[in-house]
Amino acid sequence: MFPIANNVRAEREARGMTQSELGAAIGLTRQTIAAIEQRHYSPSLEAAFRIARLFGTSVDALFQWDEGVSG
Amino acid sequence: MSFRYKSALLSLISMALVYGCFFVSVMVQRHGDGHANPVVQLGGAILALALIQIVGNLIIAGTSSDKYSAPDERERAFDRKATTIGYYVLIVGALAGIATLHLGFSGPEIGYAVLLAIVVAECTRQAVFLILHHRAA
Repeated sequence: MFPIANNVRAEREARGMTQSELGAAIGLTRQTIAAIEQRHYSPSLEAAFRIARLFGTSVDALFQWDEGVSG
Repeated sequence: MSFRYKSALLSLISMALVYGCFFVSVMVQRHGDGHANPVVQLGGAILALALIQIVGNLIIAGTSSDKYSAPDERERAFDRKATTIGYYVLIVGALAGIATLHLGFSGPEIGYAVLLAIVVAECTRQAVFLILHHRAA
């Protein structure tokens, strides 16, 4: 698990979007969105900004550093 | 499973099978009394591999909804890492190929060693790509 926690699933579900729709909107595959939500992949800064802009929120609000897994 | 995952799996399996058969055949001939032309055998292996890859990828594309999508940043990262590891394997294989000179191997055998290094490096690249995909799924 990567040390960056995120609220992507909650924000996506709150907007009634599927993983495929979110991926298509920001140029990522459905598998990558699933991996981000499950913390199996940390997105690039550009992808993080794209997701945050799409949800109308900030990167800070969407992604948090998890001290518990940072090692 | 994505189109690229299935395509990499096909590449790995087909390369291992086709070149595995080719190298086994070469070994058998080296230690036996076979008379098959190795150049013809290699040509046949390359043609068989191309045919398997073309037909296999057409079938995979027909069953994948993401066949036209470009690789995203995650897949490109997997590809970079797999290529880096495959490159190291190729370097080790090339050095091993050079080392065969000191073992008294002749021209064609050095050629086989170089070909083996290329095949193993490519199989490693595909295998690492698949492992990274699988671990991050």
